[in-house]
Amino acid sequence: MSQQPLAGRDEAVDNAAVAPLSNPRRLLDNPRVLGWGSVALFLVVWEVSARIAGVSPLYLPRPTHIVVALIELFRDGGLTIDLAVTLYRIFAGFGLALVAGTLLGVWIATSWRVQAVADMFIAALYPLPKITLIPLLIIWLGTGGPFMLTISFLGAIFPIVINTVLGVQQCEPGLVLAARDLGATQQQIVRRVLIPSAIPAIFAGVRLGLGVSIILVVAAEMVVGKLGLGARLYLSGQILETEQVFAVLIVLAILGIIVSKGQDAIDVWLGRWRTG
Amino acid sequence: MSASEVAIEFKDVGLTFPSAAGDAVVALDNVRCRFAPGKVTAIIGPSGCGKSTLLQIARGFLAPTRGSLRFFEISNAAGTVPRPAMSIVWQEFNLFPWLTVMENVTFGLELRGVPRAERDARAHKAISAVDLSGFESKYPRQLSGGMKQRVGIARALVMEPDVLLLDEPFGALDAQTRLVLQEQLASLVETSGTTAILVTHSIDEALLLADTIIVMTARPGRIAEEIDVALPRPRSMATTHDPNYAVLFDRIYGLLRDEVMRAMVIESGGQS
Ligand SMILES: Nc1ncnc2c1ncn2[C@@H]1O[C@H](COP(=O)(O)OP(=O)(O)OP(=O)(O)O)[C@@H](O)[C@H]1O
Ligand SMILES: [Mg+2]
Repeated sequence: MSQQPLAGRDEAVDNAAVAPLSNPRRLLDNPRVLGWGSVALFLVVWEVSARIAGVSPLYLPRPTHIVVALIELFRDGGLTIDLAVTLYRIFAGFGLALVAGTLLGVWIATSWRVQAVADMFIAALYPLPKITLIPLLIIWLGTGGPFMLTISFLGAIFPIVINTVLGVQQCEPGLVLAARDLGATQQQIVRRVLIPSAIPAIFAGVRLGLGVSIILVVAAEMVVGKLGLGARLYLSGQILETEQVFAVLIVLAILGIIVSKGQDAIDVWLGRWRTG
Repeated sequence: MSASEVAIEFKDVGLTFPSAAGDAVVALDNVRCRFAPGKVTAIIGPSGCGKSTLLQIARGFLAPTRGSLRFFEISNAAGTVPRPAMSIVWQEFNLFPWLTVMENVTFGLELRGVPRAERDARAHKAISAVDLSGFESKYPRQLSGGMKQRVGIARALVMEPDVLLLDEPFGALDAQTRLVLQEQLASLVETSGTTAILVTHSIDEALLLADTIIVMTARPGRIAEEIDVALPRPRSMATTHDPNYAVLFDRIYGLLRDEVMRAMVIESGGQS
């Protein structure tokens, strides 16, 4: 079995678990080892070269110092609150956009009149970088909670609406007929056939929308916030606390990883009935 | 159940599909026929002659542009009953891919508000009637074509329809699977005594399953002839050796060949 040159992925994982030292080459066949290993190598090279070259920590702090700064920020620097505030802003606006966007998308897809009206607005607003709306929204809403909610909502809703419309329109007409034959009312057809069949498409919209929401909330926090990861990032930069800047970036990067892996998992779960 | 009391009559039904380009399609013209209660009626005819349209009219999904439908109670031929309950088995199966076999079969019962315990009991019965016990929690993509259509049949049967409508139910299956399912359906129909309308392209399928065969003309579809199938039941593949079988087959084939030729002329004329 170990002779096979084209060992499958599972087999490689087994080997890595069973005999990690006896066959180090096998380790490189494991994508997880490869991924984390390269990150670790990168950090070691960074640490060592920064130490040898004596780069000023103002420009490029060492990874070990960044980790220390990160721990301190969480312990007594209030980063926990910043993180919580930012997450709340992102997901409150995004949650509203998910509900409103799905309903609006279904409505547009099932009524040509609504579609005719919505088409123009979507065509005008979708390509507009939402970040350009920040000044106007500040004039209207101030810089408090409603502003943050709105900016996050606006970031997520367009991709969700557009993908929902596509998903509903791509529903097999035969399935609608079959549901009608089994006694479904118009409303039941929407809830029991159109929306379920559009879920993969809706989720593609969710992926895009949540990404935009994260970007917009952090950017808005950098512009106006006193709290939140974006504000912390900006303030740390202002006072040249480079280690803190890196620490916040790491938190954002980890947030990104968690969100993206979580979405992958949901995708697999939602797609369990699909081919592939 | 009023399954054995209901029949449908088409009274000079015509249907014209309007078209934006101006050349409307006359799909059905002057169709006059009767679907007897407790009997299987097969409809056979050239492609595009309006068989599916006829089925959709019976189901109430399309309204005839001329003529009308009547639904009879056989015990009281003068009194019409409300449209009998009908369920369709589709050529393309049309199973909901995000639902399991069990959930597909209980879909209609759930919409109807049947309590869960009864729903499950009826679904299990229907699933075992089509020999799919053990596959309840599979998704459609995990099933072969023949199994998918058995789910389609179970999903229709579980509704206990007065009339079962089958639109080329085995058209998308390979020849061997089709033979097996035809035999299974024949025995299912014989034991349940259901009223069924079966649209098919296969003379063998019609002879195996039907009590009456309606042969339709090329478009616009009319009734060319109604033929009683006086073959003994229960029928199976062995029925094909019955001397009457060959006689009926030849008669239907003769009618169909003429109509298919005409359909080909119409189609090539339409293209030029
Ligand atoms: N919605 C529609 N609009 C316009 N024309 C239609 C429509 N549906 C069907 N037709 C036309 O009406 C005619 C009859 O169609 P129908 O589907 O009933 O035929 P069929 O006998 O079921 O054919 P097949 O054997 O190929 O399934 C065909 O010429 C078809 O092109
Ligand atoms: Mg058809």
